[in-house]
Amino acid sequence: MRTLLLATFLTGCAHQAGPPGLQIWAHEGRESERQVLTAQVERFQHEHSGPPLHLTFLPEGNYNSQVQAAALAQKLPDVLEFDGPLLYRYVWQGCLQPLETQLKQSTLDNLLPSIQKQGSFRGHLYSLGAFDSGLGLYGRKSLIRQAGARLPKSPDEAWTAAEFTQLLENLAREDTDGQVLDLKLNYQGEWFTYAFSPALASAGTDLSHLESPAASQVLNTIQGWNEQGRVDANVDDAAFLTGRVALSWVGHWEYPRYASRWGDDLCLLPLPNFGHGTRSGQGSWNWAVTTACQPSGRAVEFLEFLLQDEQVLEMSDANGAVPATRSAIARSKLYGANGPLRLFSNQLLQGWTAPRPRTPAYPLMTSVFQQTMQDVLHGAPVDQVLGQAAAEIRQDDLDNQGYR
Amino acid sequence: MMQRPAWWMLIPAALGLLVFVVVPFVCSFGMSFTDLALGSPHPVRWVGFQQYQRLAADPSVARALTNNLIFAVVITPLQTALALFLACVLNRPGWRLGGFYRSLFFAPVVFPMSLVAVIWRYLYAPGASGAFNQVLNALSLGHWQPRDFLHDPQLALPSLMLLSIWQGVGLQMVLLLAGLQQIPADLYEAAALDGSSPLLRFRFVTLPMLRNTLIFTALMTTILAFRVFDQVQILTHGGPAGATTTLMFELVRSAFERLQMGRACALTVVFVIIVVVLTGVQRFLLRQKSL
Repeated sequence: MRTLLLATFLTGCAHQAGPPGLQIWAHEGRESERQVLTAQVERFQHEHSGPPLHLTFLPEGNYNSQVQAAALAQKLPDVLEFDGPLLYRYVWQGCLQPLETQLKQSTLDNLLPSIQKQGSFRGHLYSLGAFDSGLGLYGRKSLIRQAGARLPKSPDEAWTAAEFTQLLENLAREDTDGQVLDLKLNYQGEWFTYAFSPALASAGTDLSHLESPAASQVLNTIQGWNEQGRVDANVDDAAFLTGRVALSWVGHWEYPRYASRWGDDLCLLPLPNFGHGTRSGQGSWNWAVTTACQPSGRAVEFLEFLLQDEQVLEMSDANGAVPATRSAIARSKLYGANGPLRLFSNQLLQGWTAPRPRTPAYPLMTSVFQQTMQDVLHGAPVDQVLGQAAAEIRQDDLDNQGYR
Repeated sequence: MMQRPAWWMLIPAALGLLVFVVVPFVCSFGMSFTDLALGSPHPVRWVGFQQYQRLAADPSVARALTNNLIFAVVITPLQTALALFLACVLNRPGWRLGGFYRSLFFAPVVFPMSLVAVIWRYLYAPGASGAFNQVLNALSLGHWQPRDFLHDPQLALPSLMLLSIWQGVGLQMVLLLAGLQQIPADLYEAAALDGSSPLLRFRFVTLPMLRNTLIFTALMTTILAFRVFDQVQILTHGGPAGATTTLMFELVRSAFERLQMGRACALTVVFVIIVVVLTGVQRFLLRQKSL
């Protein structure tokens, strides 16, 4: 029994004996993203002769479970896409190969610092993305001015948390139901870590220090907004579109809907500053080369190809995300020097973003924090909930021998 | 005495049970004594009863078990009574609309719970514009204060129960309807000749004749109450603060979100023991009857 179990469940990342060529796994995403990636794979094959590329799309819902299962069964592909913060677990499992010596120096220099940071672990660069994400506050200029608040023009002018709380009260006075802020409470799962862990970073703490006074203060502040009745439940995902709220705390993906609804009245602002300067979210889908891919020359060449300006911009047009390279950003209509979403690219370029915790414990941490955040938002006692969460994270770290 | 062809015909079902129930359970049982973490490069260690000791000390597991118990204790009598009522009302041979209403009440059973949950999320919407809030406001002549049903520590679990009853009652109704149609009509005729009222006939003919079907449906509902997962995952994620967490939700979250397979396997074993005990109770009750 014992040996049977051990044999069955030991991890490994060996290669599947598939057809010759490169196996590539990617998440399904939107139709437009699939079309672009499929076209890019074809274009690459056309321009770079060599073994064929086999692109497989996996459904997003349980993407990570499928990759974990493939790792157990030793059937990982050569090139693998995954959600950024899961990188460290794959590295810990020994599934990925370092890329820093394989990529051209010019490619590395051109990457957004956020992409480099998210892709690095224990001294090596393991992954890179063709796009990154942006998180901020969308607001209605007219309503904010009416409430007597200043409009922050750049991340260093972000409202302080106290200013923001006061603004919510001022806005509420002119609002029929007093609910003036949309925190996308209708979203599920990862959103709560993506959206609110930057607030912890802005207070100088993170998910590994949930018992700190700073974490308690941040969560108490956010809980206060909801308890005061300032947050719209957003059941219909249209709080900002229908004009029920003046502010929406959300990512780059809402820009098309919001811009077409509010036009010139729409403004994009940094998240509030909880003490150590505003911090925004970052991270999206990343590419990596598995250890099974030998030789890895063609796989690395493919990743270099995906990071060419034309390819990066084409994907950015398809999914609306922030281009991952400096040169592509400079050429982007949305994210370039005078683009309406310049704040997002500035935040990523200038270090105003915080990566989610870079540890193999991330799947557990985010699961615990998602629960913590939802409990706090709906009135649970902050310090008690944070204490439990911290204990769970500590226990998991012990169980896994510090993830060494 | 079973005949040879019967044994042959058993094979597909038995194989299915073996491959999809027995073998996985034996594996889970073995793994529940390890610290197996999905995707860990560390060798798996045998930790004895540690996972079980932790489950016993874990307040969220206690909360989940309590919620399951409340769920079962409230849902089973309510849902069975409602199903019996519907079945009796619909049990009118030759009634034209019978088939229509049967399908109507059975329809929610056919809908996937994920779909049902998404629709009920709108019904439970917080604020004065939410459907239930509006209805309750109208019924109470404006005295109802809008509540956030799914995020209210007191109302979240009852809200899930109401939705579960609506979704599940059709299945029991159909089973009970089949039971009702097995009762010979002459029993009712004889009782009517003796001058008994419809209520007395229900009490002394219908209920005793339905006894085994009722026990079966009640126990099935109890077991389903311990398996509650979909509506929790979609609507409340166990919250607020554990108010709606269930064994199954804890189990799935452990295994597939937190990758703690050892713990999840121990939870599976606990879960299976509960279901086996419930089934044992059912068999005991049924056997007493046939003696």
